[in-house]
Parts: sequence; structure tokens; C-alpha cells
Amino acid sequence: MANEVTLPRLGWDMEEGALGGWLKKEGDFVNAGDLLFTVEGDKAVQEIEALDSGYLRIAPDAPAAGVKVPVGTLLGYLVSEDELPSFRSTGSPLTPISSAAGDAPGLALASTTQTNSTVTVSDGSAKDQAARRIYISPLARRLAESLGIDWRKVKGSGREGRIRVHDIQTAAVQLEAAPATVPATLDGLAVVESRPAAAVPAMPVPSIGRVPMSPVRRSIAEHMANSARSVAPVTLTCEVDATQLVALRHQVKEDLLAENGPVPSYNDMLAKIAGQALMEHPNINARIDGDDIIFFSSAHVAVAVDTDRGLLVPVLRDVQAKSLRQVARESAVLFEKTRQGKAAYEDLQGGTFTITNLGMFEIEASSPIIYLPQCAILGVGQIIPKQVVVDIATEKVAIQQRMALSLTFDHRLVDGAQAARFLQRIKRLIEKPFLWLVG
Amino acid sequence: MREMTFTDAAREGLAEEMALNPMIFVVGEGIGPRGGNFNTTVGLYELYGEMRLRDTPISERGFTGLCTGAAVLGAHPVIDFMFLDFELDGLGELINQTSRIHWMSSGRLKVPIVLRGGVGVASTGPHHSSNLFSVFMHIPGLRVVTPVFPADAKGLLKTALRSDDPVMFLEHKKLMKIKGDVPEGEYFTPFGKANIVRPGTDVTVVAISFMVIKSLEAAGVLEKEGISVEVIDPRTLSPLDIDTILESISRTHRLLVVDEDYSPCGAGAEIAAQVMERGFYELDAPVRRVNGAFSPAPYSPPLEAAVVPNEITIAQALRDLLVE
Repeated sequence: MANEVTLPRLGWDMEEGALGGWLKKEGDFVNAGDLLFTVEGDKAVQEIEALDSGYLRIAPDAPAAGVKVPVGTLLGYLVSEDELPSFRSTGSPLTPISSAAGDAPGLALASTTQTNSTVTVSDGSAKDQAARRIYISPLARRLAESLGIDWRKVKGSGREGRIRVHDIQTAAVQLEAAPATVPATLDGLAVVESRPAAAVPAMPVPSIGRVPMSPVRRSIAEHMANSARSVAPVTLTCEVDATQLVALRHQVKEDLLAENGPVPSYNDMLAKIAGQALMEHPNINARIDGDDIIFFSSAHVAVAVDTDRGLLVPVLRDVQAKSLRQVARESAVLFEKTRQGKAAYEDLQGGTFTITNLGMFEIEASSPIIYLPQCAILGVGQIIPKQVVVDIATEKVAIQQRMALSLTFDHRLVDGAQAARFLQRIKRLIEKPFLWLVG
Repeated sequence: MREMTFTDAAREGLAEEMALNPMIFVVGEGIGPRGGNFNTTVGLYELYGEMRLRDTPISERGFTGLCTGAAVLGAHPVIDFMFLDFELDGLGELINQTSRIHWMSSGRLKVPIVLRGGVGVASTGPHHSSNLFSVFMHIPGLRVVTPVFPADAKGLLKTALRSDDPVMFLEHKKLMKIKGDVPEGEYFTPFGKANIVRPGTDVTVVAISFMVIKSLEAAGVLEKEGISVEVIDPRTLSPLDIDTILESISRTHRLLVVDEDYSPCGAGAEIAAQVMERGFYELDAPVRRVNGAFSPAPYSPPLEAAVVPNEITIAQALRDLLVE
């Protein structure tokens, strides 16, 4: 598969930049690691290494040196020898049609379905192909988008070339099986994102099976990778005295016994506490949107739930405005629905903060990954009785219910001290739960 | 389990409820000593006499209104229209009064009444072959029940006789003599709970009334071609169990609705619309419908055969849908 060469992002805040110049010539063979081109950033000119090996084909519509273009703009391709004929230097079949106004007429695509309806081509012979819309079923389209497959380049097997879910599944399997150097035209399949070739040939490792990822697994993978790529995570940890919290739960439990209602779990109580702390620290109850920051008026607390299908994070809405009893009642229904795989799309959307609790697995602390676009996530550890010194002067020790908290926050959005204050407030509210009464 | 016909099972349900509830009575043409044109009341006249099995003159509007009044005052009438087409003469009463009194009285007055009759094309010509499913589905307040199997005929009729709402109990004439297992003892079949009568993995068929039988035959044909068809009997069209249909589509991603009734504004149109609203992203192909031809039922047998769906046309529609 041809590897795209694009304008890289040199810093988190870099949105555009300019090509300084090529360090290799059109048609040169480039080894991964060779210096390939330079980029003019705000501060300096930087030399960029090739991530892949191949013959350099400069994209026909590549920006000229010194012209500012957005990060990610296509500069060229590194192609294998086999692919060279299809990458004539005048143009490229991989060039997106929408930007291919300068293509030579009659540059036929591999399949009639690989066209885009928004383009009108003046050349009569190509007109019928180019003007036809690509039909794709709603299910197939949703799957393609969740897998990152460009369905415009998938050949459909339905009536008149309509793309069905089976075609996307086949494309996904081929993509999985295809080594990185397979030509993009393989069986009508092509994928926009290039896959860097492995530096060292992989040693075969014996496996006991291969299964396609479930949609939930894929979605989790996508979210996590996206978060790991784009967030500047910092984790703060602290240990809190949960003795009063445990006592409170016992009291509430006794009080609710007659009612037969759900007894609030620690997660419910922590959601409630987080709700209050978030109201007091609006900079945490926020997200990045483009160049802006949006602050939310409500605390929608998502709680990580382990299900047969994988990790799901149903959202408790407006916890700041609800009593603990209300939160407990709603979470009992919501979490059960989630475990049974019946949670609706809306139930899993719109959280402004997440709590993940691994205490039941005897985990003491974790470094959770932020669930984008949220700003922070609170990891909760097991509650363990420990002996702690409560007064150094008298050398007094006491046994307390201790619990570790790990707050991962996005340093793009808030600074360490702000996040620390937020975590400290949560700690305070856990240690002195009667402070909730004050609100 | 026992084997009974649809009509016998429904009649057993009626007899059980009449024995328990003295406020249930039946009116209709020929439902007294004659036992009903379709044997719906055979043997009951001997048990309960003419006060509770009351033959009427041919005056549908009159006795629909009369029974509505009786229901408001605490009785639980069963109107046996024989052919449901005859109900059309009482439609003004049914829609304007029977279905609306509950609302117009702010819920103070209830109208527990069962309106039953034979539907469907069965060598019965233009005046005796109506299905009218969507006409009744369209009216708020009416329950629309379309039993297919004998066990459901009994269970749904018993539920109807315990309901506080007017219930349209629509019995396809081609189902009446079909036999099936009926459980011993008392049971009720709930409204709004569809039945997956044949599980499958490739395509979902929602079939209405007699079309369930034809769809099962088509599914049998396609099984030999390696196609696995799931067949759903909604059992009640109002309330409609769209959740079960959506759940099925989330596995098969394809839907065919089979309805002998006309396609414009029909039950299939409603089901397709709801699926589009709530299950669009589960669909791998457009929702398709197979309906009876948009014409009154002809009397000529060859013409009649041409206007109603059968296992061959259903199977072909499924093959078409699968290559879509």
C-alpha cells in the first residue's frame, strides 16, 4: 500500500505550517528514517524523517514551498516499485476526487463505485461514472465509519453496486490481513489511512484464534487510542479516609431497608460528591471545542461499567440537582440496562466527567485514561482498613477505612494546581460527608 | 397440550370468561341457537340462554351504540359481527363514541367491549373480505388484535375480555379451521407482546394474521436454499410491539412486512416508518412490503388467487430483498 506523506503536527497547538522544501527528488528511493523534507514552523525550520520506505511521488497538488497549509495536508506518497506505474507523476489514483480538478481526463478509477457525486467531470466518457451517487446501506455506512474505512472506495456487491454491510466486513478483514505494501487497488479495497511498515519483520507468534473485534471493542479501541494520542494526561493520586463515608452508607442502608429501594453504592455516593465538586470547579466540568473551552452548567457523571460486551460508560445526568436516593434509583436501573446490553445510545452520551472504580477487584490505584471530550476521570481504589498515625505529638494511631483516588486530567485544559484543588475538594467531601448537607 | 381449532379455542376462552363474569353477553346475527355463522358461540346458548346470547336484527349501527352504552354502565359486551365488513355500518358509533368516551369523560367512563368478526380474503368477494387493520390502528383508544394460532386465539380473547378498552378482535377466516396446540388450564396472552414464531438470522419477516402461516411456508422453502428467515407474529397491531421487531432487525438487518391488507397507509407502512425512525442504522437494505393488491377482493377464484400474497410471492420477495 502506498504511504501518504502529510504535513506533520510539530506541536500541540500547531494547526498549519509550510513546506520548507524537499530533501529528496521525485522518484528517489527513500528509506524509513531518511530526512525527507523540511517544515517551517512558527519558531524554526525542522527536518522531517520519512516514516516509511518507498519511491517518492510528490502529489500533483502539493503545496509550494512557503505556502501555509493545514496540518495533515497531503504532500506526496512513498510507493513500492510495483505501484510506480499507477503513480504517474502527473497524478495519482489515490488523490481524493474532490481535489482532483486538475486530473487528466479519463483517468479512470478502478471501479465505478469509486467516484464522488459532488464532482462533475466535463469529459463525456467519465461523466456517467463520476455523476452516479454511491449507494450504501445505513448499517454499512455506520460500520465503515466506526472502522475508519473509506467506503467510497469499497466495491459494493448489492444491486447496482450498492454497498452492503458484508462488503465493509470483507474490506475490514482484507485490511487486517493485508501487509502494508499491498497495492491500494486490491479487490476494490482501499483505505485512506496509510499504515507504516513495520521496521522489523514480525516473528510469527503461535495463536489460538483470530476473531473480528466486536463493534463495542472497536469503539473502545478507537476512543482509547484517540485519547492517548490527543490528550496531555497527568494523574494525581491521594489516599483519603473513607471511614465516615462507609459509616454514612451503613446508616443510609438501614434507613432504606424498610423501603425496599436500592441502597446507594459507593459509586453513587462518589458521583454525588463529584457532582458537587464539579459545580464548585467549573474548569474541570468543561471540554475543548476547537479553540474554545465550553463550561457546562450540569454535572453529567459517567460511570464505567464492566459488561459482557466490554467497557461501557452510562451517564447519570444532572447529579448535582438530585438527591443521593434519586441517583441510586436511577443508577440501579441504568447500570442493569447497561449490563444487559439494553442501554440506548443516549444513555451512553453526554457525560462531563467519568468515575471508574476497580475496588471490587482489590485494585488499590490506577491511572485511568480520559474519556474524550471530557476533561478528567477519577479512578477509585479498594477501601482497605489501615493503621494510620493521626497525631504525631501523642504518637496516636487509629484504624481507618482508606481509599486511594487517582485523578487523570487533561493538562491542555487545566493546570496541575487547579486539578489538585478539585481532587482535594473531593477528598474533603469524602472525609466529611456531612458537608454535602451544606451543598 | 391438546389440539384444537382456532375457533374452538377462542370459544373455550369466551365460555370460561362468561362463566366467571355474568356481565359478559354476546350480540350478533345468528349467534343464538344457531351458534354463529363461524361457530363462534356453538353450545353457549344452551348454557346461558337468550339474555346473554342475543340475536339481533341487521342493524350494526344500532347494536354498536347499544352495546357501547351497556359497556359504559358496567357490562362487558361482545359484538360478533360475523364478517367484520358489517362493522362498517357501525363505524360512526365505533369511532365517535365507543373509542372516545373514555377520553371525553376524563377517564371516568370506561368502555370494555369486544368487537369481533371474520376478516380476510377467503372466496368471499368484495363485501366480505375486508381486513381493515390500519383503519382501526389509526383510531386512538382501540386495541387491535390479530390472533393467528389457536392458543393465542384463546389467550388474546381472554385478555380482551378482561380489558377496560374497546378491542377489535380480528379473526382471519382461513385461520378458523387450522388446528394447533392449546395449553390446559387458564392463561392469558398479553397485548403488545409479539411472538417470534420462527427464529432466523438472515432476514426478518413481520407477518400479519393469516400471512404468518404463508410466511412460515415461504421460510421453509428458503431454508432449503440456505436462507434463514425469522418470522414475527405481532399478535396485536395496537399496541404494536416495535421493540421485538427492532431487536430482530438488529440481528438480521433486513425487514419484509407481509400483510394481506392494502399497502397504502397500511400496517406495513406504519411498521416501516417506526423502524426507520428508531432502527435506521441497523438497516442493511430498504424495508420491503408484500401486500394484497390495491383493489377490492374479486369473487373469481383465479383473480382472487392473483391479488393475495402467497408462499411463492413471499419467498420471491425475500430472495429479492436478500440481494438488495
